[in-house]
Amino acid sequence: MPSQEDRARVPEALEAAGGLRPGVARALARQTGVPEAEIYGVGSFFHLLSEPEVEVRVCQGLSCRLAGAEALLEAARESGLKAEGCQCLAACDQPPALLRRRRVLPALRLDEVRGAGADPGAIRAAAAPDDVWAGQVGPEADDPEHLAINLLGPLDWSGAAFARAASMGAAAVFDGLERSGLQGRGGAGFPAHIKWRGVASQAETERYVILNADEGEPGTFKDREVLLRRPDRVVEGLAIAAAAVGATQVYCYLRGEFEIPWQALEGAITRFDAEGRFPGIAFHLHAGQGAYICGEETALMEALEGGRGMPRLKPPFPTEKGLWGKPTLIHNVETIACLPGIVLRGGDWFRELGRTGAGTKLYCVSGHVARPGVYELPLGVTLDELVETAGGYTGRLQAFSPGGASSGFLPADKRDVPLDFKALAAEGSMLGSAGVVVLDESVDMAWAVAQQLRFFEAESCGQCAPCRIGTRFLRERLDAHRAAVAGAGRGEALAQVAEVAWQMNEGSICGLGQAAALPLTSALEHFPDAFA
Amino acid sequence: MTQPQTLTLNGRELAFAPGETVLEVAQRAGSFIPTLCHDPRLAPAGACRTCLVEIEGWRRMAPACATPATAGMAITSESGRIDRHRKSLMALYLADHPEGFVGSELGAPDQVYQLAERYAAPTDWPRMDNIRAGRPLDENPYILFDATKCIACARCTRYCDEVEAVTAITLAGRGSQTTIATVDNLSLLDTTCEMCGGCIDTCPTGAMAEKIPLLTAARPERELTKVRTTCNYCGVGCQMDLNIDPEGNGGRGKVVKITSPAPGTTTNDGNLCVKGRFAYDFIDHEDRLTTPLVRGADGQLQPASWSEALQRAAEGLLGVAERHGKDALGFISSSRCTVEENYLVQKMARAVFGTNHVHQCAAT
Ligand SMILES: Cc1cc2nc3c(=O)[nH]c(=O)nc-3n(C[C@H](O)[C@H](O)[C@H](O)COP(=O)(O)O)c2cc1C
Ligand code: SF4
Ligand code: SF4
Ligand code: SF4
Ligand code: FES
Repeated sequence: MPSQEDRARVPEALEAAGGLRPGVARALARQTGVPEAEIYGVGSFFHLLSEPEVEVRVCQGLSCRLAGAEALLEAARESGLKAEGCQCLAACDQPPALLRRRRVLPALRLDEVRGAGADPGAIRAAAAPDDVWAGQVGPEADDPEHLAINLLGPLDWSGAAFARAASMGAAAVFDGLERSGLQGRGGAGFPAHIKWRGVASQAETERYVILNADEGEPGTFKDREVLLRRPDRVVEGLAIAAAAVGATQVYCYLRGEFEIPWQALEGAITRFDAEGRFPGIAFHLHAGQGAYICGEETALMEALEGGRGMPRLKPPFPTEKGLWGKPTLIHNVETIACLPGIVLRGGDWFRELGRTGAGTKLYCVSGHVARPGVYELPLGVTLDELVETAGGYTGRLQAFSPGGASSGFLPADKRDVPLDFKALAAEGSMLGSAGVVVLDESVDMAWAVAQQLRFFEAESCGQCAPCRIGTRFLRERLDAHRAAVAGAGRGEALAQVAEVAWQMNEGSICGLGQAAALPLTSALEHFPDAFA
Repeated sequence: MTQPQTLTLNGRELAFAPGETVLEVAQRAGSFIPTLCHDPRLAPAGACRTCLVEIEGWRRMAPACATPATAGMAITSESGRIDRHRKSLMALYLADHPEGFVGSELGAPDQVYQLAERYAAPTDWPRMDNIRAGRPLDENPYILFDATKCIACARCTRYCDEVEAVTAITLAGRGSQTTIATVDNLSLLDTTCEMCGGCIDTCPTGAMAEKIPLLTAARPERELTKVRTTCNYCGVGCQMDLNIDPEGNGGRGKVVKITSPAPGTTTNDGNLCVKGRFAYDFIDHEDRLTTPLVRGADGQLQPASWSEALQRAAEGLLGVAERHGKDALGFISSSRCTVEENYLVQKMARAVFGTNHVHQCAAT
């Protein structure tokens, strides 16, 4: 019988074997004892494993398409490269982006691809390996008084926050967290202290902490900046969480394309280890293999366990039965990075940093703005304030997506809505991951929606029918609508949209399927002319 | 004594045992909740979403098959919301399914069509392009996988894994391309598959189907007569249903496939092995002996009556005993005989022919 560890290393063993080529699954089965069909099923689930022949992938996310990603893909193919499109690479601020093996090459110019010919290694060969990816961030100041993450602050290896938390004791840490009002930054906005207390109160004493660094929501790239610029905060935050909930093992799951952020995180862990700062806590790094759905917490746990990344049914929730069935605390990178500040300066300090919600928030802005990037601002700023920080609009605002593809589209007249959890939910949208995409009036909204629907179709795990069938159905219907000449069957093409959207929201297992129709339904509501 | 725990289903108070699911409680009470991915032998997947019910205090509908019953739970399994859900879900399944009601039953009845009919789901939604990959080149003799009908419920793969402990097949790909595959899409014959056919038995749509009835254009399953019998390949005593085309063999009837009784109803719990499920073509095989044969003076076998044949056998055996002694005789019975038949063979050996030389092939 294969052990838990044998199974867990299957995805990375497939990666090491160069992906799911014929014979690989059978050979790995002999080594690990994991059934060969199971290994094949796992390999076929993840795009970075299932298409070993692909040399480069060109992001076809909305922000990259706005910047000419389609032409870039075409150019790569014309150069003789085995090139495929792929979904959001978390480089929306530096579009268009290309992926070579596990390395993201942002802001790529057509001539760079053409000049390299059929040799993928020749594309931007001279670039410095480690800092090709950090982007624009703001406010451009080191301001620990007002910025909970403080992306431009100096790295701090002192372990002071961890030491402080240890001297306070877990109960006081929980209280501080509750007072801080910290809500999860991964998308759902769940109050952090409830999960911490939930894990800490389990009878089972084997518990885990997981860092969710699978950042894949289109328009979102803030976790990338946190990992690149403040890995110290991430590792110390994880140590604080582990000690408070009684865990000794911390698993960090980074999307496979985060080769460079991985190096930053690994470096920070090594540094803290060398200084012996977090005794008794072990950190494990795991690479994703190309599946947006593995950002969903239970799918992530399935993937960590070496399975196909299909979300689990909830309840039970991870706080009770998470990784390997044990109580598990899982948090987004940004949530974790808020912790050292909260511990050192207190929950009240953090809460008051926000405006309509608690704390500062990392907003990602891309699309039609002057300086796309990651901006740490009080939770609840408006779109106009955010874009002002990002150098202003580059065209007349038509629409924006406040929190990634899953949040749908809002029209320009919602520019005064506070970008927070509550106000956006009241608009039928959500803050989600705060991946704000700005679209000016040049954009055909039906075209923009089509890209988002392609994203969900490509990234649905396929487990449950409403999402598996619904994402494809909607995409096919919108294609039919766009292909039809005005009047001839255009209306009928979208006849089932409302019912399918209802079914996807009511019937799907996880948030992907529940939200996947929103780009279309919100655009139909706010931009009816685009579908006339 | 603890008090029996109760919940309500559509206002009716029902007792339940700890560990039961909402679906199990409803089924025991005779309330029908539709299911597709559920098989009582398997851990619940909750994936097909057919069985969603409302539970008081829960914002989202919950899968009855995967939700543990708890005390005081107030469950609704018939409501406007649930009806709307069943209709639109089944309409989506239909949009992703081949057209036509009757043709689909060659392999087995297709529960997607049955449930769509039952809940009057719209049938006029545009059909989608089917992009699931099958294994058209798999030349195994028994199992056909028709990817167009597959609803990715994973009953087949979970059965193969959890019941057979073979894991020859897997969910593969993802999203709308999710399908059922073997390692590297090899033929089942080149995998660990034991050809038990359980994947066919559990498949709710006929996507995993038996090749022989399909290739011989057998009638739809609902026109076949089922006759319950005991498998005689080994001593386990599995119950099985001969599926007989009443008009086959010139009106004498013809066994066109074998199915297992529903799980939970017989000792074999819905399972069979390769022999029980597939090795029935001997029934109508041209080489099969249908009357006793006796060797004539010319040395050739000739058809004979049973009394003639038994008479000859008895003479021969007694002749050997007379010439060479009783222990010159030995009796070997077949593992395909029943326990009673085996008993009679040893009785005959000992009491009639007076020898203890008696054996049964399954003993080796
Ligand atoms: C389809 C889907 C994708 C998700 N992707 C991510 C992700 O990339 N990163 C993340 O932190 N959370 C993601 N989440 C949210 C996680 O499920 C989970 O709520 C989060 O990791 C909890 O951390 P938090 O409390 O710090 O937000 C996703 C959720 C869904 C439904
Ligand atoms: S909603 Fe979509 S992504 Fe989520 S479990 Fe269902 S099929 Fe998978
Ligand atoms: S016939 Fe039996 S062993 Fe073979 S794939 Fe089907 S369930 Fe598995
Ligand atoms: S072949 Fe049948 S049992 Fe297997 S997943 Fe498809 S529909 Fe379900
Ligand atoms: S039978 Fe419950 S979800 Fe499929």
